[in-house]
Amino acid sequence: MTAKGVVIHPEDHPAAATPLTSDRMISVIVPVVERVDDLAALYREFAAELERRGEEFEFLFVFDGGFAPSPELAALVEESDRIHMHLFSQRFGETAALRLGIARSRGDLLVTLPAYFQVRAEGINPLIDAVADGAELVVANRSPRLDSWLNRLQSRAFHQILGGIAENPFHDIACGVRVMPRRVAESLPLYGDMHRFLPALAAREGYRVSEVAVPQHPNDARVRVYGPGVYFRRLLDIATFFFLAKFTEKPLRFFGMVGSVSLAIGAVLGIYLLVDRLAGHAISNRPLLLLSVLLAALGVQLMGLGLVGEIIVHLRAPHRRAYRVRDRV
Amino acid sequence: MTVPWAADRPYLSVVAPLYNESENVTPLIAWILEALGQYAKPFEVILVDDGSRDDTWSKVVAGAAGDSRIRGIRLARNAGQTAAMMAGFDHAQGQVIVSLDGDLQNDPRDIEALVTRLEEGYDLVCGWRQRRQDKLLLRKVPSWVANRLIRRLTGVPITDNGCSLKAYRRDLLDRISLYAEQHRFIPALSASVGARIAEMPVRHHARRFGESKYGISRTVKVLVDLLTLKMITTFHSRPLVGFLVATLLPLAVALAFGICWLVALTQFGPEKAHAMVFPGAAALSLGTAFYLFMLGLVAEVALSNERESATATPTAWESK
Repeated sequence: MTAKGVVIHPEDHPAAATPLTSDRMISVIVPVVERVDDLAALYREFAAELERRGEEFEFLFVFDGGFAPSPELAALVEESDRIHMHLFSQRFGETAALRLGIARSRGDLLVTLPAYFQVRAEGINPLIDAVADGAELVVANRSPRLDSWLNRLQSRAFHQILGGIAENPFHDIACGVRVMPRRVAESLPLYGDMHRFLPALAAREGYRVSEVAVPQHPNDARVRVYGPGVYFRRLLDIATFFFLAKFTEKPLRFFGMVGSVSLAIGAVLGIYLLVDRLAGHAISNRPLLLLSVLLAALGVQLMGLGLVGEIIVHLRAPHRRAYRVRDRV
Repeated sequence: MTVPWAADRPYLSVVAPLYNESENVTPLIAWILEALGQYAKPFEVILVDDGSRDDTWSKVVAGAAGDSRIRGIRLARNAGQTAAMMAGFDHAQGQVIVSLDGDLQNDPRDIEALVTRLEEGYDLVCGWRQRRQDKLLLRKVPSWVANRLIRRLTGVPITDNGCSLKAYRRDLLDRISLYAEQHRFIPALSASVGARIAEMPVRHHARRFGESKYGISRTVKVLVDLLTLKMITTFHSRPLVGFLVATLLPLAVALAFGICWLVALTQFGPEKAHAMVFPGAAALSLGTAFYLFMLGLVAEVALSNERESATATPTAWESK
């Protein structure tokens, strides 16, 4: 069902920047959440690279609640009309920051950049070139990875689990460096923690998604140790993504399958007890009867939930189309 | 989604979804054009490429190049037969729309007869495949069972729900929004919005090129979908009623266990009937009934939020 993302290898995209003579504008959106490096330095490096390419560009810094621009960045914003800032009053998270950035930016081509050095500034070139070559969303694949083996192992495991579900051969799906045309960004359903799956989301919508290998920045490579809560949330994210990908249109397929298994086990146990009772054994003191009724009840309840889901989907159907047209003749 | 309406708008739109049908595209176009060669009114053919991985699209482009009546739509990814048909319907400009399979198994020579029948005063005319040329065990038997179930459950007397060859009035298609895999349930969904439906025999041919996209695994899914269909056709305006009907079963079970408990109490006395199994089972069943009732209320809430758009003022089918 899913369109495969095309993986583009670095050799297909020479690092040398090809000058572009279009009058398009690039908007660089920087959501400032969690980890922050020197933003003024980040701006200077990437702006210099874009300048070198001869691009028209603007930078949008979106500060999540609790983050504030450094005096140096504030000074830059004062003197340049190419930098804009937006400050959230509370913590809304990365997806919300991206949404605001998309809404407030004016460029035709959007670049998302984490608030710290994830890739080297020159790594932006092959990404922009890949879009010029027809990709509709390009995500950086930090390669070679400079992280510790522990972090690399974690990332491997995460992508293994995800790969089994999303059917896309992504290697660094959560990388914050992405390039996409505005129309793509605006059509993606961004909510919750979906920014982590942006490339998979786009592939599911039928966009041509590609991954481009870009050298990792040394600052990005450090041992990151997370608490168990983080791993739990990641697994939950994957489960949500999986559910939404497969069953948004047909919730009863999911709830009905789980429910009917439960109902069937309950029914089999019930029939066994009935046969046993007819054979003359009392069942009034058998806890198995309770299990049988419990499973059957659970099955019926799950199916009921699925039906409510179906009603909601049915009500939304007139406003929604499950296809996107790529071409017409 | 609507295409600007040209002045010389076609009267008839033929919609064919295609998924990996490279070899079938060119013969299909030729066959449709030949079959409609004598047709008096203007028509168009809309070929929907449902994200094929072979060169179906380039065949469509080639076919459309020589003839302005042929139009092609290419979907960004494989969205499934229902979505592909919806894409075709959304782009169709005709007042009468005919859908058919892109695999040459339906016969375009039947199109005119279907349209004539539609003009006699129906909103939907379904094809009924005669001497179906498919595998018995894998295709025909599951389809026979599914059709019987659909008939029983919905009360719409259509023999062959799975036949893609159908003729629709534009008015009808504006009233039903198909999603998921509902193309199989078009007659039942149409009946639920008050359409006048007819069925007529059509020819059916064996597959010449390419592979069948169906397997037996879909039968289980169809069963689950049938439950949904019942809910949205019969109870979609009052889901609470549906859920209340569903509470009858757990209520009956609760009652049965309650009686068991009473019998145990009176026969063996309280000390022997101290086991909590019967009252426990009764309580669980009662809880389920209550839960279903509450779910029905949730469904009503969801419905009331969308009521204005979902159940738009029911207009008459024909007003003069």
